[in-house]
Amino acid sequence: MEKSHFALLVACSAVFLLAATESTPVDPGVQTAQRGTGAALASVLANDNPGILSFFNDGQTRFQAVESVSGNAAGNNGLGPRFNSNSCSSCHAQPAPGGSGAAINPQAAFVSQGVAPDDATPSFITPTGPTREARFPFFLNSNGTANLNSPNGGVEDLFTVSGRSDAGSCKLSQPDFAEALAANDVIFRIPTPVFGAGLLENLDDSTLLNKQAANSDNDFGISGTFNRSGNDGTITRFGWKAQNKSLHMFAGEAYNVEMGVSNLLFPQDRPLPEEDQQGRGLPANCLNLSQGGYPEDTNNPSLSGPAILDDVSAFADFMRTLAPPPSGGVVLNGTAVSSTSIADGKSIFGAIGCATCHNETTGTTQPSSITGSLSKAAVHAYSDLEIHHMGTGLADNVSQGNAGGDQFRTAPLWGLGQRIFLLHDGRTTDLISAIQAHQSNGSEANAVIDNFDSLSNAQMQELLNFLRSL
Amino acid sequence: MNSAWLCLIAAGGASSLVLMSDPPRHSAASGPVAAASSGQSVSRVPGGVILVTGASPSASDSVTPVPEDARINGRVFDDPYFQMSFPLPEGWAEKYTSPPPSDSGRYVLAQIAAADSFSARSKGSLLITAQDIFFTSLPAMGARETIESAKNHLPEEYRVEPAPERVWLGDREFSTFAYESPQAQLHWRVLATEIRCHIVEFVVTGRDSGFIETAMRGLNKMKLPAEENPAAGPFPVCVKDFARGDNLLRRVDPVLTGHRFNPVPVRIIIDRKGAIRHIHFLSAFSDQARAISDALAQWRFKPYIADGQPVEVETGILFGPQR
Ligand code: HEC
Ligand code: HEC
Repeated sequence: MEKSHFALLVACSAVFLLAATESTPVDPGVQTAQRGTGAALASVLANDNPGILSFFNDGQTRFQAVESVSGNAAGNNGLGPRFNSNSCSSCHAQPAPGGSGAAINPQAAFVSQGVAPDDATPSFITPTGPTREARFPFFLNSNGTANLNSPNGGVEDLFTVSGRSDAGSCKLSQPDFAEALAANDVIFRIPTPVFGAGLLENLDDSTLLNKQAANSDNDFGISGTFNRSGNDGTITRFGWKAQNKSLHMFAGEAYNVEMGVSNLLFPQDRPLPEEDQQGRGLPANCLNLSQGGYPEDTNNPSLSGPAILDDVSAFADFMRTLAPPPSGGVVLNGTAVSSTSIADGKSIFGAIGCATCHNETTGTTQPSSITGSLSKAAVHAYSDLEIHHMGTGLADNVSQGNAGGDQFRTAPLWGLGQRIFLLHDGRTTDLISAIQAHQSNGSEANAVIDNFDSLSNAQMQELLNFLRSL
Repeated sequence: MNSAWLCLIAAGGASSLVLMSDPPRHSAASGPVAAASSGQSVSRVPGGVILVTGASPSASDSVTPVPEDARINGRVFDDPYFQMSFPLPEGWAEKYTSPPPSDSGRYVLAQIAAADSFSARSKGSLLITAQDIFFTSLPAMGARETIESAKNHLPEEYRVEPAPERVWLGDREFSTFAYESPQAQLHWRVLATEIRCHIVEFVVTGRDSGFIETAMRGLNKMKLPAEENPAAGPFPVCVKDFARGDNLLRRVDPVLTGHRFNPVPVRIIIDRKGAIRHIHFLSAFSDQARAISDALAQWRFKPYIADGQPVEVETGILFGPQR
């Protein structure tokens, strides 16, 4: 070999080695290849128990139905008077109905498209930003100051039906978001995906408690707790703070809070927290806007088959029978990542302590009366379903159930490869920022993030590759 | 006004500082105290402060040290409750404060990281934790058994590394073991000892064994309390499950009307006459702390006798759901 060629080879391999080991780690980003996310559980596709597939399909249709205030020919009435959006799937959209927020936020077009014609689009709702709901941690005084002695924390619906032709004379004003922003008194929540949610629902408390005991034996200083129902004391598990017990409950609440549709679980139209707790509720001309009486959603005794169900039950049936999000290959800068890299990333995820909260296997479900795939199934949600102190950096000063201002449910990481916006408020789309946000004063994850920081670039890259395979 | 707020105001914490520099706009409130008594209003909610807490630690007095009092003061780690202190080695610093004690009695006393001066990367870190043996959700074990069990139950992604089974730091014996993760190329050294009915653990993590050795040398400068002696101190005698049976002369159960479903671990110190002189809530909502304090004020114990003398005794009681 000629000397110059040799030198070139050495130089090239040095560059190659640098690229392989020293280049700054990057988030491979949202994986766009089809993974089949959003399908029904295998046993449901096989129609076990008989009839269940029609419940899934019917629930899926209703999950995507767009609600009107009144006069909708298909009967999808009851929207508002206050709402955040007009269909479940508008928020639970990415990468399929049931998911999290989409790349294009439909809320940003509501004013111009006549969904909320008289409203102003709040400044934090942008076309390519996260789909959001807003909460005010504290009630505002009439002069715009925040009253720290008066925690609020309830959802402040973004939009009203004012000015819609199907909303009669109802005129409402939106919460004063500009004022709340000026008082630093607004926090956000983005939609959590519901793929595989039926599996989470069918984990017995004993399974979770045994897992918690096993988790507590760790060298990372991590010790979580469970959020619990204030009524019966059992473990609650859905939502960013694990504040809700069941999919049925969440569906009823979401229909009411996000869309303004009263239903069998939440039978009244919902005013804003300040209208209800500090005022006199909704004005008379904003009640019964659907003109069909309350609750706006109920059973349909005159129909048969799945159509007999109320919407809330149909939503819950659909969500409960959605398959968990499939994992898949990862493309980084246009090149497929090797399966070795993903496997190594997975071991690193375990070794540095991520898996002490993000347990790969949350547990094994109980026998299911609903369908085979929900029976005795290992649930690979990458979460312990515990709530953890995440410190001042992530704290949102909202208390839900037993969860305080900085306590959050370990976010299940299944489906992460196809998620766009990350963390409870959607503050980032970048995995590295999401990981770094785990570290702040008072966070249980601090020691684990120190370990993450001691990884080499190549190891960090493997970890990121693994995360996007989920 | 709820007592969490009283504490916040009394402590003159970050939020009252914000209040002073950023006075409320309405005229009724001319300062933080006035603002507090008329409903505490601010023109901006302070950031970086957890104002709405869930179950939290608190104590009946601010003089008696509690385990979570651990602080880094002038580059010295100091925990007055355990009487444990050591100077931080060069380049080590506490980046972030620790989370509050857990409802299973676990404390993170400090998380100290060593920065790599050549890159933004961390060279390794030291985590100091304590597990109150009164409240552990695991079978209660001494330091030696804890280490033994950790070694025997090491998850498959780790490999045990050779290390002495015992070392002496600051005149105390520690049980130790070491392990590594081949995949993450990180090494761990765990040291455990028993102080005041707690398993106190030091976990050193680093990329190379040189770092671990440096850390161990740093820890060797540690000052720890002398072995405990019931009659001579330095601490109250600690006795698991003391608050039951014949020891307890009078018991009044608290009535929990608000939060009821979270475990509430409570550590008490009983004076020589058998009355409770100090209550430490590791994790309680303020309504629970109030109800339990009111009840405990009425409890009476048989004095604990060591070497013929009544001595102070420390024990734990778990309120709320029992494990
Ligand atoms: C405006 C957007 C929006 C709409 C419309 C919406 N959701 Fe959601 N959804 C959210 C947000 C935000 C969360 C997280 C709430 C939280 O925990 O704070 C969420 C969480 C959920 C969860 C919890 C899943 C989990 O595991 O945490 C369920 C179930 C759910 N929604 C069902 C529904 C159903 C059913 C509908 C239609 C009736 C619906 N949502 C409509 C935004 C929306
Ligand atoms: C102490 C428990 C804990 C540890 C340790 C932990 N996490 Fe998390 N993780 C959480 C919680 C809780 C959230 C939700 C936080 C929020 O949204 O405010 C979360 C959120 C995330 C998210 C965003 C997911 C989403 O749905 O938006 C990612 C990604 C993530 N974690 C990755 C990691 C990685 C990688 C590690 C290890 C370096 C790790 N986590 C360690 C508890 C933990």
